[in-house]
Amino acid sequence: MVEVAAAKVGVTGKRRVYSVGRYGVALAALLMASAAGVMVGKARLDPGTVLAILLSRLPFTDFTPWWPASFEAILLEVRLPRIVMGGLAGAGLSVAGATYQGLFRNPLADPYLVGVAAGAGLGAALAMAMPLPPGLYSLGVVQLAAFLSALLTVGLVYSLARVGRSTPVTTLLLAGVAVGSLASAATSFVMYSQGDKIPVIYAWMLGGFNITGWQQVTLAAPPVVAAALVLSLLGGVANVLQLDEDQARSLGVNVELVKVVLIVCATLATAAAVARVGLIGFVGLVVPHAVRLLWGPDYRSVIPLSALLGAAFLVTADAAARLLPGPQEVPVGVVTAFCGAPFFLFLLRRQKRSVF
Amino acid sequence: MRSVSACALAVLAILASACSSTQAAPQPQPTVPAVSSPAASTFPMTLTDDAGRKVTLPKEPRRIVSLASSNTEILFALGLGDRVVGVDQYSDFPPAAKEKPQVGSFVKPEMEKILALEPDLVLGTEMHVKTTLPELEKRGLTTMIVTPKGVRAVLEGIKLLGQATGRQKEAETLVGTMGNRIASVEARWKGATPVRTFFELSPELYTAGPGTFVDDMVRAAGGSNVAANAGKEWPQLNQESLFLADPEVILLADHGSAGGQSPQSVAARPGWQQVTAVKTGRIFEIDPNLTNRAGPRVVDGLEMIASRLHHGKP
Repeated sequence: MVEVAAAKVGVTGKRRVYSVGRYGVALAALLMASAAGVMVGKARLDPGTVLAILLSRLPFTDFTPWWPASFEAILLEVRLPRIVMGGLAGAGLSVAGATYQGLFRNPLADPYLVGVAAGAGLGAALAMAMPLPPGLYSLGVVQLAAFLSALLTVGLVYSLARVGRSTPVTTLLLAGVAVGSLASAATSFVMYSQGDKIPVIYAWMLGGFNITGWQQVTLAAPPVVAAALVLSLLGGVANVLQLDEDQARSLGVNVELVKVVLIVCATLATAAAVARVGLIGFVGLVVPHAVRLLWGPDYRSVIPLSALLGAAFLVTADAAARLLPGPQEVPVGVVTAFCGAPFFLFLLRRQKRSVF
Repeated sequence: MRSVSACALAVLAILASACSSTQAAPQPQPTVPAVSSPAASTFPMTLTDDAGRKVTLPKEPRRIVSLASSNTEILFALGLGDRVVGVDQYSDFPPAAKEKPQVGSFVKPEMEKILALEPDLVLGTEMHVKTTLPELEKRGLTTMIVTPKGVRAVLEGIKLLGQATGRQKEAETLVGTMGNRIASVEARWKGATPVRTFFELSPELYTAGPGTFVDDMVRAAGGSNVAANAGKEWPQLNQESLFLADPEVILLADHGSAGGQSPQSVAARPGWQQVTAVKTGRIFEIDPNLTNRAGPRVVDGLEMIASRLHHGKP
């Protein structure tokens, strides 16, 4: 069934899809990005010290620290979790973008268009505006609220968009935009009516990896990894969805069920990323397109490759942000937009054939 | 995203005007000649306000609307509480200010409410120069911008307001006391090794950078702001940079319900145990209203910061 669909949408054969080469390239990109990320930062630690600090944490090694305690904290508590979180967020946003694009058969679909990001923002703003006991905030109640609110938003969008037993793509996108706007408006109102908390909410919405610790990583990793795995396995069904829905049904695919599963997983990945690092644009849009331009439109490879390349992209962007001079943090979203857009245009010029 | 950036602007505006100012505005003129030799006010009077505009007051103002908490506090300190007929939402000090009719938010005051109060003087800050001020002028209202940019500049602001309202004597007295208190703090810590200080606005490490009111206060109180070379007024400090700067004192403006931070929660952050301020337990919750408002309480804020910075020293 899957092979039939693949053939119909112009994707050929098993061989190319499962060829090791492209995964090797994507994995190498991720490893190189991570290595670069470990080495660069506001604190100019030399590579030898970095290696020594890392090795000193392994069992059976014996190093007398020649570095100050702050270096160890910078490397192990600030830089490493930041790289891992960058990879998770990049992977999550990218698989979500690839899935939304395939699901809605719309090249502009990304986590922002279906209202997920706005929904997450509203949940976070509400949690910060409510007079909850301070202890809850250190337990991550803001992130939890963002997550739940994102899921609720998509649930609302999806049920609004349902016409009878089917969910037409256009109504889904329209509902996404409308509900997203509503959530943004509600967020603005929450901020407006909670004057003293505006800076706090605002700082969260700007996002970034500045204060990412291992605790955030362990909270974000399970949903992102699980969603990315499930979506990667569902690439074949995403191919089927590229057909006319009636054709897909005639191939024996439960279109509605598939849509629900894809949406839930993509939302899970998005919300987990947004809830930890705020609103980072361009990743979910650009990375899947770049993968398609490089290696073709078969979703069986687009989704897993988007995860790897998305992780590499965001880790690199964050490392680049840390290279800029001065003690202040540069929003990684600025970097993703500045590198993402020209790279995308370059690929588009180089290979003008339609890839969608 | 549009609403996010709208909010962003609003926030920056609040921070900027509450704490100090942006560089875009014209430098305050060396005020008015009359300041140095206080004479009886004679109306009509023409003054140069902090936006560099010539303001003509036909008679002594009796119905004043204040669009910023800093100016509200100055008016009350000059004994003009009964002449204040309207205030913005943040004007909450002294308590009597809370009883005054509100004209809406500080960022976006409501024109109708202001007009209905029939003020003969509307006081704004730099925040209002580009947005609210043109609207007010269009409707023929007398407006004045008072927006001091540093601890000592507050004294000039108070003198300017005193002159505009026929309260020079009160202003001179107030400025005299405040000036003495500022001078004694400055004199006490001049030449001492500056205490490395981090002023936390949010747990994401947003802070007050160069050119802000806080930066000026920290310096005057014998400290050095670890974000002093951050290149912008409200930067987010990189966590690695913060660790390298190794602050000796951390001032928390985001404690309690506003941000949920406390000395305990800061000390529990991963990797922070090696920071000197954490090791020595010198993390303090501070009242941002004392450090953000360019009003008479700025000296309280200055003394408070000095006592936090030099904890245990006389």
